[in-house]
Amino acid sequence: MKKIKLENWVSGCIFAIFLTISNTWSAQDEKTAPGFVWKDGAEIYAKICAYCHEAQVGPQIRHRELPAAYIRAVVRTGNRAMPAFRASEIDDESLVKLADFISKKETQH
Amino acid sequence: MTNKYIALPKGVSAENFDAAIRAFRKVLGDASVLTSAEQLAPYIKTMMPVPDADHTPSAALLATTVEQIQKIVAICNQYKVPVWMISTGKNLGYGSAAPAERGQVVLDLKRMNRILEVDKDLAFALVEPGVTYQQLYDYIKEHKLGLWLSMPAPSAIAGPVGNTLDRGVGYTPYGEHFLFACGMEVVLANGEILRTGMGSMPNSNTWQVFKWGYGPYLDGIFTQSNYGIVTKFGFWLMPEPPAFKPFVIQYQHEEDIVEIVETIRPLRISGVIPNAVVIAHALYEAPVKAKRSDYVSGPGSIPDEAVYRIMKDHKLGIWNVYAALYGTQEQIDVNWKIVTQAFGQSGKAKILTEQEAADDPAFAYRAKLMRGDMTLTEFSLYNWRGGGGSMWFAPVSQARGSETLKQMALTKQILAKYGLDYSGEFIVGMRDMHHIVDVLYDKTDPEQTKAAYQCFDELLTEFSARGYGTYRVNTAFMDKVAETYGPVQRNVHKTLKKALDPNGIIAPGKSGIR
Repeated sequence: MKKIKLENWVSGCIFAIFLTISNTWSAQDEKTAPGFVWKDGAEIYAKICAYCHEAQVGPQIRHRELPAAYIRAVVRTGNRAMPAFRASEIDDESLVKLADFISKKETQH
Repeated sequence: MTNKYIALPKGVSAENFDAAIRAFRKVLGDASVLTSAEQLAPYIKTMMPVPDADHTPSAALLATTVEQIQKIVAICNQYKVPVWMISTGKNLGYGSAAPAERGQVVLDLKRMNRILEVDKDLAFALVEPGVTYQQLYDYIKEHKLGLWLSMPAPSAIAGPVGNTLDRGVGYTPYGEHFLFACGMEVVLANGEILRTGMGSMPNSNTWQVFKWGYGPYLDGIFTQSNYGIVTKFGFWLMPEPPAFKPFVIQYQHEEDIVEIVETIRPLRISGVIPNAVVIAHALYEAPVKAKRSDYVSGPGSIPDEAVYRIMKDHKLGIWNVYAALYGTQEQIDVNWKIVTQAFGQSGKAKILTEQEAADDPAFAYRAKLMRGDMTLTEFSLYNWRGGGGSMWFAPVSQARGSETLKQMALTKQILAKYGLDYSGEFIVGMRDMHHIVDVLYDKTDPEQTKAAYQCFDELLTEFSARGYGTYRVNTAFMDKVAETYGPVQRNVHKTLKKALDPNGIIAPGKSGIR
């Protein structure tokens, strides 16, 4: 039997079982495992942007040397039909990496 | 102090709101309490034809733990500050990440993004609200679990929790998502944590495998509602079938849809076709292949003559029926014979499979949706009129051919009155049929925006007068739709609200409930 679990989820559950004295759950079984974080700009581009911008839904944006500040602004506010992306989705640090990835010249990759 | 915030919650003084914000900051830290115009800009953009100011939040809270949410609701109760929950915030065409009412605080759960469990044997998942379909898709691939997702068209950037809680749908046999939900964790307005179904029982390991628990089934009251904040969500996944056969059946005349639905219904009810069948009008599929401006210019809706030229130029039917078969090759062979015999009887159907249509971009993205692969190609719809305006009109009817033509005629008539196109499809469920119309307009054009609002209002009025209920709607029209379901249901919803959230701090206005 192959079961995939986060390590801390298992320990958290066991912890919760010992703590639970009634059928009311407490937040004490909350896991401490970190959530998902982006690796780099290329990953964000592939997992979000490319679905439109490499699929003839949105315009081509790579290798056009678009200013990084412009890219960051469009991501945060959207542009016409393009949805806006919040800091909770693409954090500020990752957005800098994404803008850098998009705006670099082709030869720089 | 009033200038310190870009909006304030209704009935809350600037002083009290300031105190609430200070309390939120103590719980979450300064960086996770957003109040500036720049920080809140992504929460304001919607596709609805109403002023952004109507849906501008006062703040956004980026919570990461259940304990934080318990503390947040305590502060909200103390200061009577309402929160509007979002998960991935990509309910595009239904309100996006903006709150229902100006001044509500967005409780943004995107950073609660842990995949807590995926069980290969029992084929279920337990996730937090911020998990996207892409994240779960990658996790399943990485761990070679052999499970398929079902997701709506915004797949990669949307997520299972928000979509299912809004009773959204997908395109695989598990496409009626709430049918496959199994167990929720909910923070109630009083701070208590409820685990629904078997989750309430200590030591139980059946939370994600048995939906009903004991006593009244509660999960339903936490969908399309504002009775609690869902922080964990369980659902079933489909085992990857040994074989998969997507197909499209094209028809050339609008009136053929009567025959199409009559042919599909018995195949759906008997399970020969296990997924929701999409009957897409040429104008729903056209944006993947064609530009509107190549066929028509100026104001007004697109004439039929142009639609027929698009069909001819881009190898589309006026109706394009998408469905798939799943199972072993032997099962598929048997069912394919049944399908081709049923559709072949009248001689009107042109049946295409991957063999003939794999390179067709419309077929390719539909096939991806039907096997739970990531694609955002349906966003091509937004290029049709341009300008970022979109509202989904979604009335429900019986799955009968006789329901189709009159609905389409009425929809086209109302859209044409306001100069808008019919970008519609019918989706045949297990016994029902959703008529899904993307009311597309140019939001940068004030006249068209005004027309779109009036058009949508009239669609709701006329359809409800004929007994067609809307299953889901954007945040600007929630009260109107709630009204169409009558005073008794509305009163029951209100009674539950008073009992579970007496201070009205959780998403007031959601589905018209306050």
